[in-house]
Amino acid sequence: MLGMFKAMRTTLRHLPRKPITVQYPEERPALPERSRGLFRVVIDPVSGEPRCRACTLCETNCPVQVIRVNYESKYELPLPNAARVADARIDLQPPVDMKLLKPVLDDWREHGTGLIAVMQNTQEQYGYLPRAAICEISTQTGVSLSQIYGVASFYNQFRLSPIGKYVIDVCHGTACHVAGAPLITAALEEELGVDEGKTTKDMLFTLSSVACMGACSQAPVMRIGDETYGNLTPDRTRKIIRDAMAKVGAVKG
Amino acid sequence: MSDEHTTPTHDDTPQPATAPASDAPSDDRGEAQTGAGADARGETQAGAGADARGETRNVKVEPAGDGRFKVSVCAGTACVFAGSMAVHDAFVEEVKAAGLEDKVDVSIIGCHGLCSQSPVVVCSDDSFYGGLKPTDVAAVVEQHLKGGAPVEKLLYKDPATGEAVRDWHEIGFYKQQTRIALRNVGVIDPESLEECLARGGYEAARTCLTEKTPEWIIQHVTDSGVRGRGGAGFPTGVKWEFAHKSPGAEKYIICNADEGDPGAFMDCSILEGDPHAVIEGLLIGSYAIGAHEGYVYVRAEYPLAVKRLTQAIADAEARGFLGDDCFGSGWRFHLHIKLGAGAFVCGEETALIASIEGKRGMPRTRPPYPAVSGLWGKPTNINNVETLANIAWIINNGAEAYAALGAERSRGTKAFSLAGKIVNGGLAEVPMGSTLRHIIFDVGGGIKDGREFKAVQLGGPSGGCLPASLLDTPIDYESLAATGAIVGSGGMVVVDDQTCMVDLARFFLQFTQRESCGKCVPCRLGTKRMLEVLDRIMAGDGREEDLDLLEELSHYIIDGTLCALGGTAPNPVLTTLKYFREEYEAHVREKRCPAGKCKALITYYIDPEACTGCTLCAKKCPTNVISGEKKQPHVIDVAGCIKCDTCRQVCKFDAVKIRSGIAQTAEV
Repeated sequence: MLGMFKAMRTTLRHLPRKPITVQYPEERPALPERSRGLFRVVIDPVSGEPRCRACTLCETNCPVQVIRVNYESKYELPLPNAARVADARIDLQPPVDMKLLKPVLDDWREHGTGLIAVMQNTQEQYGYLPRAAICEISTQTGVSLSQIYGVASFYNQFRLSPIGKYVIDVCHGTACHVAGAPLITAALEEELGVDEGKTTKDMLFTLSSVACMGACSQAPVMRIGDETYGNLTPDRTRKIIRDAMAKVGAVKG
Repeated sequence: MSDEHTTPTHDDTPQPATAPASDAPSDDRGEAQTGAGADARGETQAGAGADARGETRNVKVEPAGDGRFKVSVCAGTACVFAGSMAVHDAFVEEVKAAGLEDKVDVSIIGCHGLCSQSPVVVCSDDSFYGGLKPTDVAAVVEQHLKGGAPVEKLLYKDPATGEAVRDWHEIGFYKQQTRIALRNVGVIDPESLEECLARGGYEAARTCLTEKTPEWIIQHVTDSGVRGRGGAGFPTGVKWEFAHKSPGAEKYIICNADEGDPGAFMDCSILEGDPHAVIEGLLIGSYAIGAHEGYVYVRAEYPLAVKRLTQAIADAEARGFLGDDCFGSGWRFHLHIKLGAGAFVCGEETALIASIEGKRGMPRTRPPYPAVSGLWGKPTNINNVETLANIAWIINNGAEAYAALGAERSRGTKAFSLAGKIVNGGLAEVPMGSTLRHIIFDVGGGIKDGREFKAVQLGGPSGGCLPASLLDTPIDYESLAATGAIVGSGGMVVVDDQTCMVDLARFFLQFTQRESCGKCVPCRLGTKRMLEVLDRIMAGDGREEDLDLLEELSHYIIDGTLCALGGTAPNPVLTTLKYFREEYEAHVREKRCPAGKCKALITYYIDPEACTGCTLCAKKCPTNVISGEKKQPHVIDVAGCIKCDTCRQVCKFDAVKIRSGIAQTAEV
């Protein structure tokens, strides 16, 4: 009972006062003109270490890009588990010839081509971005592994695993979609025995899709390697892919 | 869907800046037609020195420089798909065999426009061969090149009368066009600087750099009323002025050629067909704003465009048009190509800049606008390919000639790529203000196979679907925004009654969902949730409240995202909900797909009346569920049918039908 009165008293006392809450962002508090708030790194009171782990998320996401994360470790740290796993994964990938990377990095040193160009050239050499090459690029250019991985996973063009000898690009632009591109992909999936985006086990065919090839009047269209095919029907597609598979001795799956 | 959201960079945005030309993944499209069309056209023609038949009259394949008769084979993407290179090789061989090499020149041209006739071959006597096969070439060489008379049966036939058309300017598709940005596309050999110069290329740039001041150029471009053709429609002159006035010795000019809209290929065609027009536009722009470095950000998916552009830049440098001393005027301008890596969101200008800098292509808030702080933090100006291709024409023919075309606040012309279920698919340029009906039925020739017009999709994933009742909407930025669609980049996909609008909306949403960069939560998660709702509806599990849920989510996404990708992503869903709501309701309430597309809501059956028992469908069926004796009507066992549509497509008697609705029992 007493508690209720106390609560009521607090409520009543605040009733005539101006609200403190500001309806951000419709209303803005009247701050000094140059006020920008203050960034600081929180220090963990127990360990005395900064809580920041230099994950660069704030740097990536800052809308006005005013945050720069520079970090180095004070300690000789043992190899973290993640890095050991990464090393193990590199061992799993087929070995790559690191000599192919030299002209790419020389070009970077000479012309200062951007990170994306370096990665594009690397992919041109290997057909994908091998982990070993990414590690080497990171070491040579000083760009962190996480940043390279961030760029690689952002753009559709970059592939992190080897692809088949022949890439099948099925156009999924609007005109092709309306003309039945999903049926074409479905037919190919069935004939090849792999899902879209995957490679057959014999590493011969990769089934992929592209947004638009600009050949809308021939819709639906697809490209196998350098060969192009227009005005497809599911039936014709099956015939084309069966012929192509027979020609190179590919097996389903 | 308020306009300020759907076209976030509208020219009445009060901010001082360069907002938008290619604000988003969407590019511009605009057309407009003309209340005052006739007059306007007349004037322009006068300006361009063309005769009464229109601007296209001026666009023609000239005989070779040495007077030889010219045979031009279209090497646009669609024609290459249809085998035009084989036709080209056949011509070279046959001409050689006939000993006509000193009389006939066989060359290639960029996209000629009428892609539905591919492969296209055009001669310098204006004859037009469509759908030519390598085996037809011998007849053409024998009769036309030797005998001088075009081969009637291979010429383009008027679909209405069935008569061969001798002069391609008389083909309805070309007759209705006014070509400015596309003035040299499909006319010159894109790999030859000489042919470009012969048609007045680089004259505007030479005049500007040697005689005019930057202020004069900016004033001229402003007066012409040209607006960003990438989608947002920000006035180009104003944009240049911001960049010009922005302090700093180091500035950049960027050409946005990251044409990501599925179904749009204007920019691709311009770069492939007339790369010098873009280079010239950039050169004039660089001088106007004071930039010494320029970039063309082009999709890596357009290898042919990249190749021709690289060649064109090298040629221009060799001639001294680009470099440390352009045209001997002392102006320094270097142009570089940057390859995109396949991210739709990089069509947004701040994301594009991040991508050139080698980062993840994520948009950021504006201001600061790129005109103040862009590439490497320096003032930067970004223009779309088509905008830049217009500039030289404006300088040569005067701002008034350009402003005389179009309607209201949208001046000039706009290129469109017509695709889908349309007779004359291809590349067309018409004055802004033309109605949709004019473009689809007069230029495009109407709907394929005599079917019924259902909707036109404008602006790709950022645009909307408009029904037949809105066909008389003039194509300008404001009128289209009022309907919920946008001009966008210029992709125009026409669909007939066999297309399910729910499926089409889902297609675009799936695209934006996949391409969302993930920075803004409403876009990243909201589109995903909307996609799940649409999937549910298409699977026949739709709920009554789903349609309201879709609308609600759409508005959260529009309000809560930074860039135009998120701000326009729900447009395809909102417009289809607005204009084709009954189709959604049929999916949700009656569990059927009126267009017969959604696999879960349709059943295949064979009409026993029409079936002749030819057994073709049974042979082709991948799951062997069609049974029946020879010469007896066949039956589909619906339990095993995967609805692959093969049987319907192979049937010569139209006996395989689709019933809208879920199969209750095994049906006959």
